[in-house]
Amino acid sequence: MIPTTVNKSAKKPSSILRVIYFLLGILALVAIVATRYNQIDVPLFNHFRSPNRVDPATLHLAGEFVENNLGPTQEADGSVTDRMIAQQYLFVPYCTVLPAGVPIHLRITSADVTHTLKIAGTDYSVKIARGVITQAELQFPHAGQYDMPCSEFCGPGHYAMHSKLIVVPKEQFQTAGQQACEAGSKTNGNDKQQ
Amino acid sequence: MRGPSLRVVSFSGLALLLALGTNSAWLRTQAGGEPRIPSYVAWTPESIHEASSGDAFRGSLLVKRCDHCHGDEGFSPNAFMPNLAAIDRLSIWKQLEDFRTQKRVSPAMNPIAATLTPQDSADLAAYYSMLPVTSDPQDNRSFPQNGLAPAELTIASRLVSIGDSHRGVPPCQACHGPVGFIHGAASLAYQNADYLLNQLDAFAAGTRANDINMPMRTISRQLTEPERQALAHYYGSGRGAHPTGATIAQ
Repeated sequence: MIPTTVNKSAKKPSSILRVIYFLLGILALVAIVATRYNQIDVPLFNHFRSPNRVDPATLHLAGEFVENNLGPTQEADGSVTDRMIAQQYLFVPYCTVLPAGVPIHLRITSADVTHTLKIAGTDYSVKIARGVITQAELQFPHAGQYDMPCSEFCGPGHYAMHSKLIVVPKEQFQTAGQQACEAGSKTNGNDKQQ
Repeated sequence: MRGPSLRVVSFSGLALLLALGTNSAWLRTQAGGEPRIPSYVAWTPESIHEASSGDAFRGSLLVKRCDHCHGDEGFSPNAFMPNLAAIDRLSIWKQLEDFRTQKRVSPAMNPIAATLTPQDSADLAAYYSMLPVTSDPQDNRSFPQNGLAPAELTIASRLVSIGDSHRGVPPCQACHGPVGFIHGAASLAYQNADYLLNQLDAFAAGTRANDINMPMRTISRQLTEPERQALAHYYGSGRGAHPTGATIAQ
């Protein structure tokens, strides 16, 4: 049975408190708008920022995309993390060596505009936006060589924006390393000249 | 009073949990180890404003020290030294800052840039960016240089206009003009051949490593020695002032 009359005034705060709550709310809104509008860095806000956000202008100064941290890294659980930067009009690093049959976490961000990393011959296509880290979970069943073009128009140099992926057997990953890349690039260069 | 205080406590507890949760995820993404920093310049709105708000008149007074190598009109008498006439402000400012912070190594420029402040660099950049590129018979300049062989023209105009997608080499004119420009990529239209070849070789060898996010080191490593020479001679001959197309490249 629903009571027809409820004594609401017993649970309500007094009118003075209601006014104070209202003013506090207005004050908070004004503070948020003012700090955002003036681009004031509020440390508290950084706690609530997405961890997948980066400043595209300062990738080279700090964080996980400094230049000696790019490329594949072996993780403790056997998987591999590969970090890349997409920029007008190339992917860095140009050539990547990855093991076959191993989970690969591709972490990639853009330094300027939106790009898309397409791994030709597979279904993988990774959209990369300015200021956002895109993480893609990849796995390659067989060894092989893949072309990775940019498939999203990014400017007058877009059509030459290609990078290369060499997938080697799992046991060769530690030893093959950069040599596979250099050997591959040389044959590719010679093919081009002939 | 019981209701509001309970609400406040539960809300702040929730906020604390959220803050801790996001904070740990935030920390996890930070890389360990010492980062290798190519350049302390970052193209933030503040640095772009600083680089582009120089005083050209003050720059014209500071520039007396630069004339001996870079020429009275911004064109060097020696092809080993770069021409600075009409180079954009951001590029000149960034290179002076990199010389000052030893991120770009040059026995001649490091001690000179060490005496400059960022404001001096901006003033010099403002001055050089205003200089005209018209020819002057009375000026002692080495530009343009001869020595572009027909075979080199074929190689270079192909790389300049369409690049080589098989090796991830983008077209030069997409970033260095005149088709497109990006921050910090100087115009090469009036640049000296010997200087360009030196810089391409230095990028390829890694002795010059002040390009943000490694574009020029990556590209120069993909180029062969004849291709670097062809590109240097192409720009040194003055052909880079106009966009080139696939008709020349065939």
